[in-house]
Amino acid sequence: MNIVSVSHLSKTYRKGRVDIPALRDVSLDVATGDFVSLVGRSGSGKSTLLNLIGGLDTATSGRIFFKGQDLTTMKRSELARHRRQSVGMVFQSFNLIVHRSALDNVMLALVFGGAPRGVRREKAIRLLASVGLGHRLNHKPGELSGGEAQRVAIARALANNPQALLLDEPTGNLDTTTSLEIMNLIRKLNKERGITVLMVTHEQDMAATFSTKIVRLSDGRVVGRAAPGVAL
Amino acid sequence: MNLSDMIALAFDNLRRTRLRTVLTTLGVVIGIGALTSMVSFGTGIQKNITEAFRESDLFTTMIITSQEISLGDMGDPDDVTTAQNGTAEASNKPAPPLTDSTLQVINGFPGVAIAYPEISFPVRVRLGSEATRTTLRALPAAMRAFKPYSKLAFGEFYDDDTSRSAVVSWDALKRLKLLVRDPKSPVSLDEGDSSGVRPVDADSVLGLPIEVISVTFDGSQLGGGSMFGLPALARMPVGESQTTFTIGGIMKGASSFSDMNMAGGIIVPIGAAEAIPRLGFSSVWDLLGGGGGQDTYSSIHVRTESVADMEAARAEIEKMGLHVFAFSDQLKEIRKGFLVMDSILGAIGTIALVVAALGIANTMVMSILERTREIGIMKAIGASETEIKLIFFVEAAAIGVIGAIFGLLLGWGVTRIANFVANARILPAGEPALNLFYFPFWLIAGAVGFSVVISLLAGLYPAIRAASIDPIEALRHD
Repeated sequence: MNIVSVSHLSKTYRKGRVDIPALRDVSLDVATGDFVSLVGRSGSGKSTLLNLIGGLDTATSGRIFFKGQDLTTMKRSELARHRRQSVGMVFQSFNLIVHRSALDNVMLALVFGGAPRGVRREKAIRLLASVGLGHRLNHKPGELSGGEAQRVAIARALANNPQALLLDEPTGNLDTTTSLEIMNLIRKLNKERGITVLMVTHEQDMAATFSTKIVRLSDGRVVGRAAPGVAL
Repeated sequence: MNLSDMIALAFDNLRRTRLRTVLTTLGVVIGIGALTSMVSFGTGIQKNITEAFRESDLFTTMIITSQEISLGDMGDPDDVTTAQNGTAEASNKPAPPLTDSTLQVINGFPGVAIAYPEISFPVRVRLGSEATRTTLRALPAAMRAFKPYSKLAFGEFYDDDTSRSAVVSWDALKRLKLLVRDPKSPVSLDEGDSSGVRPVDADSVLGLPIEVISVTFDGSQLGGGSMFGLPALARMPVGESQTTFTIGGIMKGASSFSDMNMAGGIIVPIGAAEAIPRLGFSSVWDLLGGGGGQDTYSSIHVRTESVADMEAARAEIEKMGLHVFAFSDQLKEIRKGFLVMDSILGAIGTIALVVAALGIANTMVMSILERTREIGIMKAIGASETEIKLIFFVEAAAIGVIGAIFGLLLGWGVTRIANFVANARILPAGEPALNLFYFPFWLIAGAVGFSVVISLLAGLYPAIRAASIDPIEALRHD
């Protein structure tokens, strides 16, 4: 069963009077429970594809199905619901709200997700504890290490029990040891909770070590797909 | 996301930018303060005048004349001549003269509580060694049941039409160098007032004899000669006559709109007044040899049982060919004037609030620029455009509500101070303290509502702008 199904997807950005194609006729299927890495050079369109699947951006043409629902026909309010209920996004630069504590950052996602006031705090604490941050609840992002901040971002992404985690270079700002810790956490979530993972990365090793499937993009096109360990 | 979450989020954001929020809110505070104090001034003046009308029963008062009169003539009843030959404009019927028989007819009309003739003439009054000029007014004892005579400042209104009891105005007593102390509104003597005026208790004034000195026609001065033989006259054919009354009551002119002020300083029973010899219209009539006719009055005052009775009684009186002057008509005109005044005052206050609204808009736009990335994050974790819009709306509204509350406090404080200064410095000493400003509930609620609406309007553009931020762009924003 495919959780994500992308067919003939194109995205063109307009910069001034020039159209810049970011994705050209991309088709891709992701099965439920997969750990898919999108690899490619900078500007290959991998982040654009991830944003489209995450409902942060809209396609120029083509179709994106998430659990059978076509995102390309959704209204903006429906896309917002998709973002808060179906997927959880994690970014290279963490994107935590800097003046809020770790706990508040996670709780904010629960607020938008419509969690009742009484359960938010408890659930946020549980989520932070599950990513190993039970002792850093009231620290603001500036007081956390990169690895800790990314754990908060992961806890936040998990807040509304998404079916898929969309990670955009989650270890791009982290040192090797911390990167491995984060990747192990993500693999654990994928394996133990069955959460589908789509990860954009330019680190071949990371993709090869952790994912079940690798998709290579170049100049907005899918130029190869393979199981890990197979050269693309 | 429910409203309480939004409010919590809004206050959290406002708290974070405390200085800017305080400054922006201060703009609203000043705007609302200006608006409410201006409007409360207009409302206060209007209320004072309306209440003064009501206090002296002016809404149920009519003045009947043979000729049409206007408010401008009211101060000088002598101008209103008994136009026996005049024709009432409202009707083709010749206006009947205002005589005792007319009075009786009017008294019989349904709804009329009392009708009495206007009898007033200039006199001198003497109390001890002090004397002053004032106007004497004759009123029937039955007026003791009506405002403002039903409740005097001190003492009682007389209950007998022939008694020699008088009601003296507080002002007249002051001119007689007696400052009657009022425990309800204590006044201090100013430098200018202190020349010989001594404060006294009302009890020591009540019961004192007061002499009314009137000018009389003295025929003996004419001798046997013709009245046109002026060279034969050693002096004018007038004399003085003294009548002594006892001060039974002291009346304080509630305001310049009361019936009392128009009629001067001393009120005496109608029967007793008739006995006072005076140089009135009829004596001049006698002088010219036209006497022998029935006495006519310059005007007749009518009080109706209630405001509702005014119309029917008025119609009956007008049917007789008489002219009716009702204070309530004047009030309608005055109210129109108030509307204009209130609008101007309100407009000035509104300008202040609009300037404050621009401040809100500016603050919100600044806030969006600063929070672009945060808005992007909120969108990425599932906030809808409506929610983003509402968050900014609630922030704008919160500034509006807080601004309105403190603005009301400011407006109230300013008006209290202004009122204090006005009462202490502008109103003459001895006048009862006036509340120049009035904060009715509608003004308080309206100010809060108006402030919120203006704030929301100011927040409209920033909110729409915030909601339309592209999350991908916003997430790249530093």
